[in-house]
Amino acid sequence: MKTFGRLLAAATVFATGLGLASQASAQADDYPTKRVTIIVPYSAGGATDVLARQVAQGLTEKWGETVTVENRPGAGATLGTAQAARARPDGYTLFMGQVSSHGIAPAVYANLQYKAKEDFEPIVWITEIPNVMVVPEASKATTVQEFMDQAKGKNVSFGSSGTGSSIHLSGEMFKARTGLDMTHVPYRGSGEAVPALVSGNIDVMFDNLPSAMPQIKAGTIRALAVTSAERDPSLPDVPTLSETGIEGLEGFEAKSWFGLLAPAGTDKAIVDKVNASVNEVISGETFQTYAKNNGATVVGGSPEKFGEFIDAELDKWAKVVSDAGVRVE
Amino acid sequence: MMENIGLGLSLFFTLQNFVAIGVGVMIGVIIGSIPGLTATMAVALALPFTFSLPPVTGILLLVGIYKGGIFGGSISAILIRAPGTPAAACTTLDGYPMARRGEAGKALQMALYASCIADVISNLALIFLAGTIASFALEFGPPEYFWLIAFSLTIVISISGSSLTKGIISGLLGVLLSTVGLDLVYGTQRLTFDNFNLMGGIGYIPLLIGLFAIPEVIEFYLQRASPLNVSSSDRSRVSWAEFKRCLPTIVRGSFIGVALGSVPGIGATAASFLSYGEARRNSKTPETFGRGEIKGVAAAESGNNGVAGATLIPLLALGIPGDVVTAVILGAFMLQGLTPGPLMFQDNIDLIYALFCGMIVASVFLFGSGLFAIRYFAKITDVPRHILIPLVLLFCVFGSYAVQNQMFDVLIMLCFGVLGFLMARIGMSTPPLLIGFILGPLFEDNLRRSYLIANDASVFVRSPICWFFIAATVLSLFIGLRKEFQSAKAARERAAAGA
Repeated sequence: MKTFGRLLAAATVFATGLGLASQASAQADDYPTKRVTIIVPYSAGGATDVLARQVAQGLTEKWGETVTVENRPGAGATLGTAQAARARPDGYTLFMGQVSSHGIAPAVYANLQYKAKEDFEPIVWITEIPNVMVVPEASKATTVQEFMDQAKGKNVSFGSSGTGSSIHLSGEMFKARTGLDMTHVPYRGSGEAVPALVSGNIDVMFDNLPSAMPQIKAGTIRALAVTSAERDPSLPDVPTLSETGIEGLEGFEAKSWFGLLAPAGTDKAIVDKVNASVNEVISGETFQTYAKNNGATVVGGSPEKFGEFIDAELDKWAKVVSDAGVRVE
Repeated sequence: MMENIGLGLSLFFTLQNFVAIGVGVMIGVIIGSIPGLTATMAVALALPFTFSLPPVTGILLLVGIYKGGIFGGSISAILIRAPGTPAAACTTLDGYPMARRGEAGKALQMALYASCIADVISNLALIFLAGTIASFALEFGPPEYFWLIAFSLTIVISISGSSLTKGIISGLLGVLLSTVGLDLVYGTQRLTFDNFNLMGGIGYIPLLIGLFAIPEVIEFYLQRASPLNVSSSDRSRVSWAEFKRCLPTIVRGSFIGVALGSVPGIGATAASFLSYGEARRNSKTPETFGRGEIKGVAAAESGNNGVAGATLIPLLALGIPGDVVTAVILGAFMLQGLTPGPLMFQDNIDLIYALFCGMIVASVFLFGSGLFAIRYFAKITDVPRHILIPLVLLFCVFGSYAVQNQMFDVLIMLCFGVLGFLMARIGMSTPPLLIGFILGPLFEDNLRRSYLIANDASVFVRSPICWFFIAATVLSLFIGLRKEFQSAKAARERAAAGA
């Protein structure tokens, strides 16, 4: 009787498993059958939000099911990310990850409420944006070398959009590698920091290229170098930091990036389906125009490629943060 | 110049543009009047739609929503004491008492007149003085901001209600609450009690809704039996004499709005309170403020709408977004492949003039749709209170949840509701708390930034602007305190005489 009971239990478990499995593949086949939500850990109107809405619109048109964006801002993107990590992994909740949530925050915050690697399934890397080293028009420096010469022995201030942002960490990375004496002056968003740079209240900034671009074009701030590995097509005459040949700056690479993830445990078939759809959307003309106007490079590719990239980013920022000593307990 | 205006006009005069402005203003007024749904949110949500529209049409749609939203916020502020947008918080102070007196129609009308006049003045400042004002705004570094905020904080004196001491305590409580969350410079947690939800700080909108709207709800349920005399509002109108009396206040408020709007980062809420404080200080009967003084509504609404046009000054002239709304509008420009700033005045001057035309038209549309809206919204006061109050509570819950889709914010809203109720019971005024909460972080940030850039206290007196605001702060403190003491003394004497 006891054996029979065990058998029955095993059979039940097996059948349930089978049922679940078949349900899962059925899910992947006709996914999506209802509304899909993309969680954005920033408020509406920011760069991440606008990007997510572009993708959501493309997916809606493609799937014929509504894809909505849900803004969950707070605590430097970590709040929304933690909530996405806890969402049900059924493919109906996706997450717009970026350099903060899956690069910098895990290195900076000691008591983070999510694990960037274990809690998420990468789907697709969408775009990347270089940062650019900019100085006010009034500054005498026209090259990075001149900037270094003038800054020697002085205390230079560098602005950022906030502690723990890629703009802040790029500055910390520059400071650690060149040994310059630099003080970080945080603002709340690039919108506040850029005017401070234009008016010369801060000496230098490693801003995201799109938010600095209007001022660079207007000539109120000067671009000395980009922080990416290659020059940016929109600023062909501006060298990369690595190219400047300054000791310590070789191989310097810091950029902002965005990509879609799902909570860990999401069915691989669904991940692949979303991956294929997003790749289609971002290679379409609408998205390409959007990216070009916003100074972003479209990346795309497989979930594996995105996963490897995230691993590399996590390692890189962990090192920058420990070198710079900006960890928050 | 004439040729450019001609080009701008030809670009502007399309049916599409008029429809965009009309629809935008209407959406703005409606969304703005719903607590928790702010003008900013409406603009951000409309952004993707502008992508497929021609540049002028898309941007005018957003500008229309913004302007409508800032006015719309006053509707619920006056009718149910729940500010529809943060900028309308100040409007509750006198607007709601007026509504309780049965003068909802009048309060709404005054709010509309003040909003539209301020809007026009703000537009004119943008059109004729953008370049000058923008370069002046750039003179503001951290120390200059610090003193500007210090000056703004002195308005706590004017909005403290019956007791200055209690008002100051309320203001300090606001400052204390604003420090909750991650510290700006080091990212350390302050007063979060290891609660993850508090890491992002206390939500502004839940606090606002809780503090202003919920005490009314609690009050209602505690005194169920008392008959409430909100009567039909349709008969109350702003008389010509009243309008004339309020006009100087409106003009002053508009200029305060323009000044604060053109400096990035201060915002419409602070402008409306500053305008209100100035109106009260200049009034011969300051004691009527807070009890349904029509000038109070005029001051608050001219202050916040004065910001609406001016906030585009740094954006168009310098390419710098002064607040979240203009950051979204900047996004709309960039989606179209346009970069606002000095270059735009060279390359796309026709577009700039088309936008200017559109903004003037938007002010006119605002007046029209405002008149239409208040005629229907004012009927809300005819709804029996036992039906209205539960609806208000529903809106409060919905509004605080909608901002971040978090139940935690609803809890915050309820906590502040209880706090607001208790404060009212002990005669402590709540607006200073709000002012402390808004200006506290700006005060602290700029204090710390000043030290970071200079590492020397002399930075605080580095420029004439610093000295100007130091003088203004001292003067404002002196005059304000003297006036408060005098009126307190007069009140005591009256009481003694009465006894």
